[in-house]
Amino acid sequence: MSCAKKIKLDEKILPILADDLLEDTPLVEVFVDSIKDQKTISKVVKDLNASCPIPELTHLKRIKAKEILLLIKNNLEKQQVHEYLKSNGFNVSLLCNQIRIVSVAKIAPKTKTQHAKVNQLWPCNFHSDKYIEKLSTNTLFDHSEILEHQLYMKVAIEVARYSKQNKIAHFSKGVVIVDPKIKSIVALGYSVTHENPCKHAPMIAIDNVAKTQNGGAWNNYEQLTTTKLNLCGIHPKLYTLLQEKFPQITFGASRFKGKSIKEPSDGPYLCTGYCVYSTHEPCIMCAMALVHSRVKRVFYGVKTNNGGLGTLCKVHTVKDLNHHYEVFTKLCQDECESLKDV
Amino acid sequence: MNEGTKQGQIHNSPPIMSRDIINLTDHEKFFMEKAFSFAKEALGNQEVPVGCIFVHKNEILAVGRNEVNETKSATRHAEMICIDQIVNYSKENSKNYMEIFREIDVFVTVEPCIMCAAALYNLKVRSVTFGCRNDRFGGSTVFDVAEILKPVTIVKGGYRSEEAMQLLKDFYKGQNPNAPESKVKKKKSDVDVKQDSL
Ligand SMILES: [Zn+2]
Ligand SMILES: [Zn+2]
Repeated sequence: MSCAKKIKLDEKILPILADDLLEDTPLVEVFVDSIKDQKTISKVVKDLNASCPIPELTHLKRIKAKEILLLIKNNLEKQQVHEYLKSNGFNVSLLCNQIRIVSVAKIAPKTKTQHAKVNQLWPCNFHSDKYIEKLSTNTLFDHSEILEHQLYMKVAIEVARYSKQNKIAHFSKGVVIVDPKIKSIVALGYSVTHENPCKHAPMIAIDNVAKTQNGGAWNNYEQLTTTKLNLCGIHPKLYTLLQEKFPQITFGASRFKGKSIKEPSDGPYLCTGYCVYSTHEPCIMCAMALVHSRVKRVFYGVKTNNGGLGTLCKVHTVKDLNHHYEVFTKLCQDECESLKDV
Repeated sequence: MNEGTKQGQIHNSPPIMSRDIINLTDHEKFFMEKAFSFAKEALGNQEVPVGCIFVHKNEILAVGRNEVNETKSATRHAEMICIDQIVNYSKENSKNYMEIFREIDVFVTVEPCIMCAAALYNLKVRSVTFGCRNDRFGGSTVFDVAEILKPVTIVKGGYRSEEAMQLLKDFYKGQNPNAPESKVKKKKSDVDVKQDSL
């Protein structure tokens, strides 16, 4: 029952996770021995931890039944191991001297699935991270949340169709940027690559977000100043069209409060906290532009040949970057796929 | 992947440490000096001090510096600004910008970030010469974009790198006025740690 439910969800939305959550935990070889007398186990563990600690493997238990983990396999021969322990001041007479080499988890497992595998090899501590668990089992969103994500993607699809039908763009690709805190569409974008090779839909949308903060570098729209929310990030023609098609959706950004050195503000900063809905997988340039912009999540419908969020690489999981966002794919996949034929 | 497709990498210089100094012609040194002048202009305008110029047949066709704070757009790096100028130049002179880009030599004070590296490689610019490495966002230091896109672009770095790095340090000492306070603090410690380890 729960299995059937999950399969259905995978068809609707699928997280693109970092490799270290998907792959098996890396292993390392260690020397182990058996303890002669069960009663001395706690003494052996205590003495060994004092004389031969293994700081790299603190995620592992030292004991597996009567077996004890001695040290990470190095260039010692099995018969030299006791000699080495002795030289560190450990009383080897408590051990059987039946040294074996086994593989154990090199680092702490990150998910339950990873833990189940390495725990069989050697007992392993595991602190389950509820959020990571939800991500890795694709149970982060409930049904109503999926519907909401689909709705925003449908707007992105509409933006893509509009740009193509009005001959604004050669390709139908659409992007919608949402502020989930106020559940409102902040900015839209469609690709205008015939005008400028870097004007991909996500780049345009990012620039349109900037306009809601009194910035922006590319084409400006007429400002509608009468509304409570700032509509500078949305093309007026598209606004009218989308309002008709999606009467249930709110449009506009929180009003930007001026920032200066002396007067820090709580207003929006770049795309911090925003969610991006893109009909197509962003390329490496756009994926990194979204990192720079500090977005919270990126949802895309279909993969692209030059995609930087799953196809060619996973820019959002590069360890050394100072910001990371979550990525989900397959949202309204079929409809995004069909945009090719518009 | 087929090993044969690694060809693009042959054109790319091997990783150069920031202390390495590459040999430039007097012409190239002049262009780098120009890029440095724009980096300094950025610093004077509370922008991350990165300066860039695009050279076409020994003629400077585009100049730019970081404009992220001014435009509130994190994509307005010096390189992206120069790209826009080349597109406009090509339009005004009824030229095909892709042909122009193929003959462009880029001079930039800091290694292009992942975004800009991808953009420059896709535009097939002829070469990129940079000053110091970009430890936070670098398109080869942090994540090797060339490994994936196999560009024709020749990339070399390390010229006046300590000077370029010092400009960045000067900026982060003064802190980015546009970032919320907590982020500024986080950013600053990031930079301190990373740059000290250079
Ligand atoms: Zn792109
Ligand atoms: Zn850049």
